[in-house]
Amino acid sequence: MSLLKKSRIYSPWLYHLHCGGCNGCDIEILAALSPRFDVERFGIQLVTSPRHADILLITGPMTKQILPMAKRVYEQVPEPKVVVAIGSCACGGGIFYDQENYAIIGIPNSVIPIDVYVPGCPPKPEAIINGIIQGILKLSKKS
Amino acid sequence: MIELLLIIFISFFLGLFYSFLIRKFSARLQWRIGPLIFMYKDLRSIMGITRIIQPLYDIIKLFGKRTIIPESSRKRLFIYSPYISLIFAFTSIFFIPFSSIPLLSNIPYSIVIVSYLLIGSLLFMIIGPIASGSPWAFIGVRREAELFLVAEFSFIISLFSMAISKNSLIIWEISTKEFNLINITAGLLMFTSILGKLHIKPFDMSEAEAEIVAGPYTEYSGKLLGIYYLTKIFLIYDFIALFISIFTPINTLPIYLSIPLFLIISIFIIFILSIIHVLNPRYRIKNALIWYIKIISILCLINIIAMVI
Ligand code: SF4
Repeated sequence: MSLLKKSRIYSPWLYHLHCGGCNGCDIEILAALSPRFDVERFGIQLVTSPRHADILLITGPMTKQILPMAKRVYEQVPEPKVVVAIGSCACGGGIFYDQENYAIIGIPNSVIPIDVYVPGCPPKPEAIINGIIQGILKLSKKS
Repeated sequence: MIELLLIIFISFFLGLFYSFLIRKFSARLQWRIGPLIFMYKDLRSIMGITRIIQPLYDIIKLFGKRTIIPESSRKRLFIYSPYISLIFAFTSIFFIPFSSIPLLSNIPYSIVIVSYLLIGSLLFMIIGPIASGSPWAFIGVRREAELFLVAEFSFIISLFSMAISKNSLIIWEISTKEFNLINITAGLLMFTSILGKLHIKPFDMSEAEAEIVAGPYTEYSGKLLGIYYLTKIFLIYDFIALFISIFTPINTLPIYLSIPLFLIISIFIIFILSIIHVLNPRYRIKNALIWYIKIISILCLINIIAMVI
């Protein structure tokens, strides 16, 4: 494995984007980053600017109001990047999904290409960490 | 000549090691594990064997990412400032003695050269973000500039009080003269300035993560951000090595004693810095300025008394 590919696996930085969920998933993401699970031992860090990120974590069913911002944040993450959808909402609308719902898009994949799905309402921190690791493995394969 | 080549690698790996230690110590003090020294056996095939060079992996990864240049930035200044900052920080490693090896620190006026180089490096860390045109960077940079002024004040006073009392402007001469009271008082002043310059916790308001996005580096990405991280690696080494060589009598010892002592003292300093980093909340810039003015004026007074004695 080349050094660059190794470094991509060893130092994934996350950016957390909230797209209109109930906040349950966001609390679980923070729990996954807390001292109990301590993902920093694998070099995973939460960064605060999308320009520094490698992995974009999105939660929520993608409301129509946040859509332009979400697209912009996605574009601001420099290549190579991976998007991990956390929670049933981000995977496919979850409990909010309804074809007549005027406020949400429901399937974020139709606007942002999603690489890894982590279902659950909300998913456990272990599942989120597993999702992140799947994302890292995908990231290392991108050129 | 060989020392000059060697010091490039030594300073780079020590800088990496120090920034790893800051992360590790802060993690342990916060009841976390932090970057692993030995990876778990079953994960070694994917996750590597050790993470002691975690900061290096971060930098290499950043070099492999696409660099985004924002439309609203002043492009030339935005692109070149990280490189100039790196050059300044990198050059200063040659003028700071490393445990009984003088390198270039015995040329005339080396103390002036080092202080200029370090100021220059920090200045370009401010100028680059200004050119990025991001409002978050502006807020961060404003705080950084205010902090820079007060921290610089104690830095310069401490360096030049040493120079006056030891009657020399050459770092090597200052560091080999006998140890006395002024070393302690000026050392304390220098320590306060290092806190501000390395953004140790009560003084990290300029980078204030989450509060003002990523502060000055909000718009930086990819290679340019990597260069800034590299600069920080060299700066950590610069400040620690400068502190140890000027304020401790380490350079008067033979080399086989001074190298292990250098390592022990530097790790101890890093430990103290990490404790301060973990125990403190983030100050507002106003509190930080008041703190600095209070502490600096008291320390300066003690320093002057020590000089007179
Ligand atoms: S998946 Fe469940 S917990 Fe997560 S945002 Fe949607 S409703 Fe809330």
